[in-house]
Amino acid sequence: MPDFLGYAAIQTLNALSFSALLLLNGLGLSVVLSLMNFVNLAHGSFFLMGSYVAIFWLGTGAPWWLAFPAAFLAAGLAGALLERFPFRHFYARPHLMQVLLTYGLSLIFADLMRWGIGAQILLPELPGALQGVVFILDMPFPVFRLFLIAAGVALGLLLWLLLDRTIWGAVLRAAVTDRGIVETLGIDTRRVFTVVLVLSAGLGGLSGALGAGMLAAYPGLDEEVLLLALVTVVVGGLGSFGGTVAGALVVGFALTFSKVWFPEFANLAAFAALALLLLLRPAGLVAPPLRRL
Amino acid sequence: MKRNIAMVALPAAAAAAAALLADDFVLRFLAEILLFGIAVMSLDILIGFGGLMSLGHAALFGGAAYAAAIAARQWGGDVALVLGSGIATGMVLAALMGVVVLRSGHLFLLILTLLMGQMVWEVAFHWREVTGGADGLRGLPALSLGPWTLSTARALFLLAALLAAVAFVVGRSFVAAPIGRALVGTREEPIRMAALGYSLFAVRFRALVLAGALAGAAGALFPFVNLYVGPQSVHWTQSAAMVIMLVIGGIGSLWGAFIGSAVYLGIQTYLSAYTDRWQLCVGLVFVLTVLLLPNGIASGLRILRDRLRRRGA
Repeated sequence: MPDFLGYAAIQTLNALSFSALLLLNGLGLSVVLSLMNFVNLAHGSFFLMGSYVAIFWLGTGAPWWLAFPAAFLAAGLAGALLERFPFRHFYARPHLMQVLLTYGLSLIFADLMRWGIGAQILLPELPGALQGVVFILDMPFPVFRLFLIAAGVALGLLLWLLLDRTIWGAVLRAAVTDRGIVETLGIDTRRVFTVVLVLSAGLGGLSGALGAGMLAAYPGLDEEVLLLALVTVVVGGLGSFGGTVAGALVVGFALTFSKVWFPEFANLAAFAALALLLLLRPAGLVAPPLRRL
Repeated sequence: MKRNIAMVALPAAAAAAAALLADDFVLRFLAEILLFGIAVMSLDILIGFGGLMSLGHAALFGGAAYAAAIAARQWGGDVALVLGSGIATGMVLAALMGVVVLRSGHLFLLILTLLMGQMVWEVAFHWREVTGGADGLRGLPALSLGPWTLSTARALFLLAALLAAVAFVVGRSFVAAPIGRALVGTREEPIRMAALGYSLFAVRFRALVLAGALAGAAGALFPFVNLYVGPQSVHWTQSAAMVIMLVIGGIGSLWGAFIGSAVYLGIQTYLSAYTDRWQLCVGLVFVLTVLLLPNGIASGLRILRDRLRRRGA
């Protein structure tokens, strides 16, 4: 019986570490979707870019913990540039046009990264402190995944404080609800949009840097991650922090455990379960009250 | 009346000329354009008329292609069997998709159709015994119609042209029929339509199933023109390619869908011969289309025609 318990504990921790990653990545996408009504299919590119930045940073031997802020800044800078042109001109356009634009951009970035870096699978050289395994109920578990869970919880809390407990967060949430009123209060919501897109891209890059130790980095990862982020956002429901947390947990656990039970059809089983869930709650787990005019 | 005759005669003459003059490579390429054109036209019914933005249309097209290929390998390449299995598969997939996605709002629809499409891709990619996995299916029997074998490029092209003509008539009838007008109504004024007693779900569901049937019919012939069907044909990148064909051709114009698929596939075929950075070029096509030509070629031509008329008058 302890074997089973240990196995269950390990799989639960695996699911939690994956959920932490999904949370950080999904939060970036969700905030841009709910605030600016902007579908950013290039979000996966920020993730992969963050992975590559972190891998190269860790390869140079500079202080390892700076790899994560570096990935945040690099992806955030890319986000800032893209926000100026062309994203800004597309906030008011139909979703279809946003999708086509950002999908096209993600193809371009994917090919540029493949061109510059190559198609091989890259693994980061983790620092000594994050290597190795710990034994939980006699089962080995990678230290790095514990670090992921801790980072996810810490950053998640930080973001929640930022969004829920500061005046900045209040402006942002007010702009989600009613942009016009916020404008009449004398706040330049365009600047808010820029900041949010930089934060979103930065979060994508940061989760890429964290995820590199678990998923490695290779061409095509951007697309896989994008799909997972979209699922997270849809399952959780738009417009609330709690929704994204719930979505990340549900998707993380569904994918991890379907990999245990149906290794070959893991994604299919998980997606089917999530589609069923959405049949029951079409607007996601935590749906904000809908105003229909 | 004169216009109607021209509308029938011109495409028929063009198809006959192509069948007589073009070589095998060009004929197969033209057949591919026509089949994709049908699928894009059915997507246009959803996006252009119903305002239902789908990123999972390749799943209907490619799912039907797989079904037709599997049926043909099992029971031989009779056209009725191939088309029937493709159309049935397209409709069933569309109905399944509709039940899940049509309850959600616009934005979720986009994401959910993408996910549903990826579920079909997962099946096609992982169910190796039936779909061939990453290798796809090859070695298909030749299509046959009664005693005749349709294996030459010319026969396949003519079959595709016939199917395109039928699909175009079906599409046109649908959008002109009361159900088609109701579909436009659900896009423009959903709340009023609901108040008038229309079930938004029923109208949209029927449009989706019809689009599935059209895309399924086109998908059924696709493996025989291409001599191959692989998981790439159900992937959501293929759905995105169909949407960009639609945008290039012009959303809301049924014949524009064929122009869009011709332009996109033309660029794809001729550019990929010149450069290895093909993906980069596809991305540029997307970005440039959205930036420079968001209303498509069909509406550009229409504006040009109106201008010429005004000058003539």
